[in-house]
Amino acid sequence: MASSTSTTSNAVIPKKYSREIVFLATLLLLLVFVIFTAFAARMYHKKYHVLGDEWFARGEQDFHSGNAAAALSDYRNALLYSPGNTNFQFHLAKALAANGRNDEARAYLVTLLSDSPGSGETNLELARIAAHGGPKMMPDALRYYHAAIYGVWDTDPIAMRWQVRNEFCEYLLDNNAMNQAEAEIIALADNTNPEDFGGQKTAANLLLRARMWSRALQEFQTLLSHDPHDEDGLAGAATAAFQLGQYPEAEEYLQRLPREKLADPELARMHEVSRSVLSLNPFEPGLSTDEKAKRTAKAIVLAEARATACERQNGGTPSPRVPASSLTSALATSNQNAADWTERNLRKYPERIDPAMSSVFEMEDAAAGLCGEPQGSDYALWLITRSRAGNSK
Amino acid sequence: MSLTSLPPLPPDTQPEPIPQSSRPSIRSLWATCRSWSSRILSLREDQLFMFLAVLIGIFSGLAVVCFRIAIEWVHLVTLGSSMSPPVPRVLVVPVVGGLIVALLVIYAFPAARGSGVNQTKAAVYISNGYIPFNTVTGKFVICALGIGTGQSLGPEDPSLQIGAGIASLLGRRLNLSQEKVRLIAPVGAAAGLAAAFNAPISSVIFVIEEVIGTWSAGVLGAIVLAAVSAVITMRIFMGSESLFRVPPVRVANAGELLAYVVLGVIGGGASLAFLKWLAYARPRIQKWPNWTRYCQPAAAGLVIGFIGIRFPQVMGAGYSVIDQALHGQFSWKLLLVLAALKIFATGISFLSGTPGGMFAPTLFIGAMLGGAVGSFEHHFFPSLTGTVGTYALVGMGVFFAGFLRTPITSVFMVIELTGSYTAILPIMTANLVAYFISRTYQKVPLFDLLARQDGFVLPSIEEQREQVPLTVEVAMKTDSSVVALPDELAADLARRTEEQKDALILVRMNPGQWLLLDRDELRRLAADGAMTTKAAEAKPRGPLPILFRDQSLEDALHAVGDWPAVPVVSRADLSELEGVVTLADILRAFRNASPE
Repeated sequence: MASSTSTTSNAVIPKKYSREIVFLATLLLLLVFVIFTAFAARMYHKKYHVLGDEWFARGEQDFHSGNAAAALSDYRNALLYSPGNTNFQFHLAKALAANGRNDEARAYLVTLLSDSPGSGETNLELARIAAHGGPKMMPDALRYYHAAIYGVWDTDPIAMRWQVRNEFCEYLLDNNAMNQAEAEIIALADNTNPEDFGGQKTAANLLLRARMWSRALQEFQTLLSHDPHDEDGLAGAATAAFQLGQYPEAEEYLQRLPREKLADPELARMHEVSRSVLSLNPFEPGLSTDEKAKRTAKAIVLAEARATACERQNGGTPSPRVPASSLTSALATSNQNAADWTERNLRKYPERIDPAMSSVFEMEDAAAGLCGEPQGSDYALWLITRSRAGNSK
Repeated sequence: MSLTSLPPLPPDTQPEPIPQSSRPSIRSLWATCRSWSSRILSLREDQLFMFLAVLIGIFSGLAVVCFRIAIEWVHLVTLGSSMSPPVPRVLVVPVVGGLIVALLVIYAFPAARGSGVNQTKAAVYISNGYIPFNTVTGKFVICALGIGTGQSLGPEDPSLQIGAGIASLLGRRLNLSQEKVRLIAPVGAAAGLAAAFNAPISSVIFVIEEVIGTWSAGVLGAIVLAAVSAVITMRIFMGSESLFRVPPVRVANAGELLAYVVLGVIGGGASLAFLKWLAYARPRIQKWPNWTRYCQPAAAGLVIGFIGIRFPQVMGAGYSVIDQALHGQFSWKLLLVLAALKIFATGISFLSGTPGGMFAPTLFIGAMLGGAVGSFEHHFFPSLTGTVGTYALVGMGVFFAGFLRTPITSVFMVIELTGSYTAILPIMTANLVAYFISRTYQKVPLFDLLARQDGFVLPSIEEQREQVPLTVEVAMKTDSSVVALPDELAADLARRTEEQKDALILVRMNPGQWLLLDRDELRRLAADGAMTTKAAEAKPRGPLPILFRDQSLEDALHAVGDWPAVPVVSRADLSELEGVVTLADILRAFRNASPE
């Protein structure tokens, strides 16, 4: 039996205590030790938890006050006390990205993504980092943006997906990826809540940026049906109508804009051009024959002057785009018919208005090709030309 | 008297006289406890040993939990909660900590020096398993102070010694036999290490590989039980999370093993350089004047403080930094710098005499080196599929194998930490490369080297492991015997062996049963006038033992005893004689095998 065996030479055994008492004392000591350790461990975890939260709160404060470097250090400290906390890791990654340390941020986010591959916010941050990486990283950006759009969002997933798609559209437009942008913008517009006027306006502006004039006009018109005085809506609708060659509509929207809004150079230019177009165009509906003849005669004079100036400026040097002969022949045609296309004859023979205007369009087109985009009234005539050409096609 | 035998209280008894009723209850409770205690203590000693192993595991687990909390508490109080403490603190705290550590080691706990592994081995092999409890207290306090104030050392080896000390105390107090007290220290060591590492398998293997050296069935069960109970205890209080989060491990094709071989070469080279430095510097520092011992830990602390201003990651055990490296959050240049600085910082911390472990720094350096090699290889060979984290993980095992020279532990440790066998091939390949490089150029492993420098010779487990056992085959002679059949006439046999005067005569009786025939006995049998006596009629001295050619010479020594010779037979056919072996042959074989 164990009790009868010898002990170690170095050990000092207190003979007065029996083994039973030692054993029971050991168990009692164990109980005390368990209680003490439980208390110490509880305090330890509590302290760690508090420290983690404190550092995280400090990080949030620094991050939102624009001090990303301090936030980075704070988030790192927070993670020291809660290494597995994915929220802390995510914010650290954001701080790293804000500090331009994209590789480190990506490493954190990829780790987070491996834990929850469908996370919308992780994919969005990865997409943003890829978007900053230039054209080389574009495939990654597209992949992560798509994953973010179709990913899981804890709070308000519909709004979050809409915002991510909006950001994605901006990214695509900034990078001239028009084909992909068009599809995403249409999807964005379709997914916009009809009651969300801000969202509608954003979608319509994106449609404008993507040169989807018709759809943009439609969006702006919807917007204006709710608020006819919305300045952004009026400006957008005017731009879309102008680009579509719908100058009367454009002018109407522009006129509804307050004067200070029209101080915007682009809107002012559109306003001027629209008015010019409307005052020069003989094909405006509702015009009397006299007015049509008068406008046509004026157009012929303007076009001939522009053609002559262009021919003189060019010195007969042929352009690679437009041979000088086309301008010369257009001018010659006009000169040959000068007697027939007087204001009086046009009034008398309104059927001559069309060929006369065709000659005007030929001259303006040839001059634009040879001498560049015209200015002022010539620009208005050129726009009428293009608009007519578009309509005839 | 037991609780159940107490008479029930009458229903109208008022609860007022509590002292009267509680007195017999306490007495009976005490009696029951003593009775249970006696029952447990009256178990056979090996059964009691198993029970104690569980108890030791729980005690060690609790002690290690408190130890970890103490380290963190000291760190928070002294260096603060920030990862990058303010410069004055970084400079002052390790120096002051070092001064206190030096005073405690010199005046209060001189036995608490060192990492703890050799001290536990010394307790097993020199002091019959005796570890004074004062050492446990000292180890706890000093290591918590040293590591907590930023010395570049780890808590695992001290935990191992704390566990061993607790086990030793329990064994002594419960009057276990001397043999069991000697064996109980490694049981506690495994428990302490398992709780510190949160990895029971590696801890059991380490204790067997480094402390005990043999797979003894008598102690293996107790070691496993203690390790498991320690880890369970630790997990109850500290959670089941690993010391660091393990990244997804990926190894796509076997061709990538070449990249891990490179890691093995670099890790082996680095561990060798670290070993050589310690081997060179330690005896020289030990010769410094005695008064320098008061300021060595403080001086080390000052140097570490200076490093810590720019690279605070180097201070302390560095688990959180390992975690970051495993997740590829450092550039390869920073990883290399951290590996080099950690080697330097750990070296000076250890050489300064600050008690503390080498496990955590080893893992740190390995992770940094692995991460650096992985990042570098990825940069130049983007087709490699293994993540940087995988390289860092393998790197930990590589440096462990090369520096601590426990190859099996190093493999199991990484597997246990990852919980996956995915990286088994890279781990085994790289670890063995590092191990062989280290062993080739540094013959004596770290722990043996430190023991020899301290003036005592502990059994070298590595040498034992690599010793080729001498077998009977080396000693046996194949042409010095004559085999006779049992029905051969003694006269014929005597004539046949007349020419071979030195030959031993063995009579093949039944399979496995042989008879060694003495020449005088043969002559006596042959002298029979009728010439009809057979060889089998010789009087045997007793059952002649047999040996097989693959048995060890130690077995042969036991078997030969007083016999002039023993037959060596085939395992496939016990009646086929392969040779004979004598005591002289065995001694000659031992003599030939000795290095002199």
